[in-house]
Amino acid sequence: MNAPVLELLVGGVLLGGLYALMAGGLNLIFGVMRVVNFAHGEFLAIGALVTVSLVAGAQAPYWVALIVVPAGAALAGLVLQTFVIRRLADAPLIMSLLATYAVSTVLVNAAILIWGGGYRGLPGVLSGSVRVAGVDVSVARFTAFLVAIGTSLAVWIFLRSTRTGRAIRSVAQAPELAIISGISVERVRNITFALGSAMAGLAGVLMAPTFASDAQLGSRFLIKAFAVIIVGGMGSYPGAIAAAMLLGILEVFGGYAFGQVIGSALLYLVMLAVLLVRPRGLLGVGARI
Amino acid sequence: MSAPAILDPHADQRPAGVAPGRDDILVVDGVSKRFGGRVALDAASLTVARGSITGVIGPNGSGKSTLFNIVAGALKPDGGAVRINGRDTTRHSPAQICREGVGRTFQISRLFAEMTVLENLVAIAHGKSDVQAVERARELLDFLEITALRDRWGSELSYGQRKLVEIARALMLEPTLMLLDEPFAGINPRLQNRIVEHLDTLRRDGLTLFFIDHEMRIVLEVCDELYVLAEGRVIARGDPEAVRADPAVAEAYF
Amino acid sequence: MRIPLLILALGAALAILPFVGSEYALSFTVQLLMFTALAYSWNIIGGYAGYTHFGQVAFFGLGAYVGALLIGAGWHWLPAAGAASLAAVVLALVLGGAMLRLKGSFFAIGMYGLARVGENFALGFDGITQGGTGLYLTPADLKPIYAALAVIALALIYGTHRLDNARFGLQLLTIREDETAAEALGVRTTRLKIAAFMISAAAPGAVGALYATYLAFIDPATAFAPMTELTTIAMVLLGGLGTVLGPLVGAVLLSVVNELLWSRFPELYLGLVGVIILGAVLFMPRGIVNAVARRRWRWSAAPRAGLRRLADAVPAADTGRRALPETAPAPRAPDVSVRST
Repeated sequence: MNAPVLELLVGGVLLGGLYALMAGGLNLIFGVMRVVNFAHGEFLAIGALVTVSLVAGAQAPYWVALIVVPAGAALAGLVLQTFVIRRLADAPLIMSLLATYAVSTVLVNAAILIWGGGYRGLPGVLSGSVRVAGVDVSVARFTAFLVAIGTSLAVWIFLRSTRTGRAIRSVAQAPELAIISGISVERVRNITFALGSAMAGLAGVLMAPTFASDAQLGSRFLIKAFAVIIVGGMGSYPGAIAAAMLLGILEVFGGYAFGQVIGSALLYLVMLAVLLVRPRGLLGVGARI
Repeated sequence: MSAPAILDPHADQRPAGVAPGRDDILVVDGVSKRFGGRVALDAASLTVARGSITGVIGPNGSGKSTLFNIVAGALKPDGGAVRINGRDTTRHSPAQICREGVGRTFQISRLFAEMTVLENLVAIAHGKSDVQAVERARELLDFLEITALRDRWGSELSYGQRKLVEIARALMLEPTLMLLDEPFAGINPRLQNRIVEHLDTLRRDGLTLFFIDHEMRIVLEVCDELYVLAEGRVIARGDPEAVRADPAVAEAYF
Repeated sequence: MRIPLLILALGAALAILPFVGSEYALSFTVQLLMFTALAYSWNIIGGYAGYTHFGQVAFFGLGAYVGALLIGAGWHWLPAAGAASLAAVVLALVLGGAMLRLKGSFFAIGMYGLARVGENFALGFDGITQGGTGLYLTPADLKPIYAALAVIALALIYGTHRLDNARFGLQLLTIREDETAAEALGVRTTRLKIAAFMISAAAPGAVGALYATYLAFIDPATAFAPMTELTTIAMVLLGGLGTVLGPLVGAVLLSVVNELLWSRFPELYLGLVGVIILGAVLFMPRGIVNAVARRRWRWSAAPRAGLRRLADAVPAADTGRRALPETAPAPRAPDVSVRST
């Protein structure tokens, strides 16, 4: 077998950038809320579909979607946090999980009613190709990678160096201590949920030109984002970025060797192995299970 | 009083200050624990004589909760050993320690909230038929004078009631050693006295009780033997009168 | 309510139905029984042990494929369903030892992923499963399948009634309430969880095989349908998590909704199930059964009567021996300080 190793490697890294953005948002929310948001994937899917409608349907420029969709996703996240998650703060965890799972179902089926069940592409946006590391890469994919990684890193810097960012981190690490030190946990949760959702929405916008989008896109990507944050360590932001790259590469190579379907199942098996051997994640600092 | 060390060949294997020839159900031997850079326990040693009520007191941050959790298996020490009934249980899980015949209560009540008091008790019974478990639970509720709470939900109980139910629940296991995590904290003096009476009865029945608390009045009243912890070290031990008179204790605590 | 009587009445009604009901009624009841069995199975691990289980459909799908493949190899559908059940139980045993070490969100994710991976495998290993084309079986007679499903559903209702009144059930509840505390008090949580997980996988495996027989067809989308998972969870939640009659109430209610909507407006149906789950979580998390029993909504559970009856029946401690520790007052030993140094 003469595998085009370089092409696959570049493809994997490009994919990993999107996973990083998607999983980064999910991980941020998990870290602060201790709840996995099962509706996170739908923010991405609906973000992608709205982008298609805006650009192909309403003839809006692509950059409009880059601004409008993340803002809309942030608002949707805030609504979800205010009307569902916050109300379940004192209920058993199973209730929050069931609730986000239900929201996910509602959104998927609403999306099917609006956009239909088929795939929708966005041809002609960011077309052409560039040469990266000796491999031809489409402009759309390369742009998506740059924006995704840029945003992920920007959020990381935000978490480390701003007042609000540090408040988010301290709530994630020790909520009781954060309350004592006068941090408004409620505000931090709202900000986190909005930020994480906006990241999912942005990932959707970035994917629209390269991947065919459909209403069911969310759950496929959610599993991958789960795999990323578990391999990277739940609640660990840099861990998620590194794991996203790793799994992006793994998926592309796995897909090449065993076919697309088994290739994506491979990510799950890796996740399962990590869950069993090292639940804290390969790179994670460890979250309370 | 202590025999001369020369007559006791095992004297050097015993934590400093332990009388020879006495039957200790629990031995904590030079246990240390650090959290990050902070030393919570610094080579703390103590022994609990079978059939005694032994208490550990100390101000907040003295390491008594850490000590308790190490004995109960919830924390693993960085150094030293814990022996229960002569068996090294330092690395045992809480479940394994429970199976050594150790029952425990929790500082912050951990009753099963969506279960009734009776169900709380019966659920953890071991090696009994359902009928026997229910009978035992009834006896315990009678003994602690909380039969009226039998069908109430765990979540409905007051703070003091929870303390009593927790004691009853731990007794379901028919333990030989009971670990009580701050049994007197935050409850009114009348209930404190009631618990003291119950503990005293249990002790006379052969049970050994080991607890941590910071309610000085009640601790002095109930304990056979008392350890005072400060900054992770045992600074005094003995019967309540001796401890009360100890100048080191007065400085650290009173 | 006397549950054994209820089960007998249900059994009688189910026995009469094939002789008086239409083909349509029978077919509706098959679906109802199938979901009843799934709901009761989910209730054991999700309701009693409190583990958020988003992967029951993996056992259902596995059962469907094992059943279909065995029938294709010439087996009768009944032993094929038994083998499918066994396969699901074995998978639960293998996975359970590992998966159930994960708690809360971790377990939810792990099981959610398992169902999707099952679907991927069914698609990917098309040498065995025919991939997306699916497997076709020769249609079997409906009535024996109906009877098998009725037996499974009734057995699960009765089993849950027993569980609710037994210490095994209480111990599963302690896992739901506070697993760490339960373990520190000597409850053998790990083996209980695995046992519960295996029990809860048995019926979905068998039902999956029976469903494949009933449809005379199975493909990955049908075997691992999220609709099956969602409907099951919504039924248990709506009826009452961790209750004896909740899954039955939920199954009856939602089967009717399902019948009205699913075939014509599948998106509307699934969206509605989502809304039902969300509504139940937010406004009636204890389910219909508890709400009716206590005439109160939100966080109040109805008491389980079994133990209380037992406690009332157990004779008071009048057998001559003392109730527990010697309570007679004895003078406190005057010299308690002898042990001190």
